[in-house]
Amino acid sequence: MISDRLKNIVLKELDLDDFDFKDSTTADMVPGWDSLTHIQIIVAVEKNYKIKFKGIEILKIKNMGELQSLIDAKLAAVSTGL
Amino acid sequence: MNKGDLFTCPFTVNSEIYNGFISLFNDKNPLHTNSDYAVHQGFSGKVMHGNILNGFLSYFIGECLPVKEVLIQTQEIKFLKPVYLNESLLLHAEVEDVHESVNTIVLKYYFENRDKVKVAKGKIQIGLLK
Repeated sequence: MISDRLKNIVLKELDLDDFDFKDSTTADMVPGWDSLTHIQIIVAVEKNYKIKFKGIEILKIKNMGELQSLIDAKLAAVSTGL
Repeated sequence: MNKGDLFTCPFTVNSEIYNGFISLFNDKNPLHTNSDYAVHQGFSGKVMHGNILNGFLSYFIGECLPVKEVLIQTQEIKFLKPVYLNESLLLHAEVEDVHESVNTIVLKYYFENRDKVKVAKGKIQIGLLK
């Protein structure tokens, strides 16, 4: 399930009022989500959550659900000190 | 480039740059071209176009960083004090954050004049091209 926090980050970066994000939502389904805005979204996510991704992790992400899972895993690693 | 890296770059808003900016963009607002008007508005003389500083930033990013394969992705600037003709400025920039996942660097910067007064500040996000 996509959190409101992640949803709002993406909406803000894409200048969208609302969008029904699902786990299966891919970038090409979202208005304005292209290669340039993708960079802005990832940077915004890293800033907002105070986490850092690896390039290979970003390349592997196929949809919003996988992005949410990666964020959750990063946050869990931070909270457990890993 | 790494977080905390510092850079400086000197600039002067000389007549060539001032007149060139007006010639290219045709902004002849009296604040920029009429000394009497500018003084009447409370300034010390003709106020230089703030976006001349954006030209300096373009030069800094494109020519002064240790890497040339760069692309400005976002840029913000706040004008804090007026800049006058022939005023010399020093740009200070620092790598604030590195987003390796998307080959992106965020620099925070400020321009200061000879009196060490900050005249503008902001942030620039640049992408490192492969």
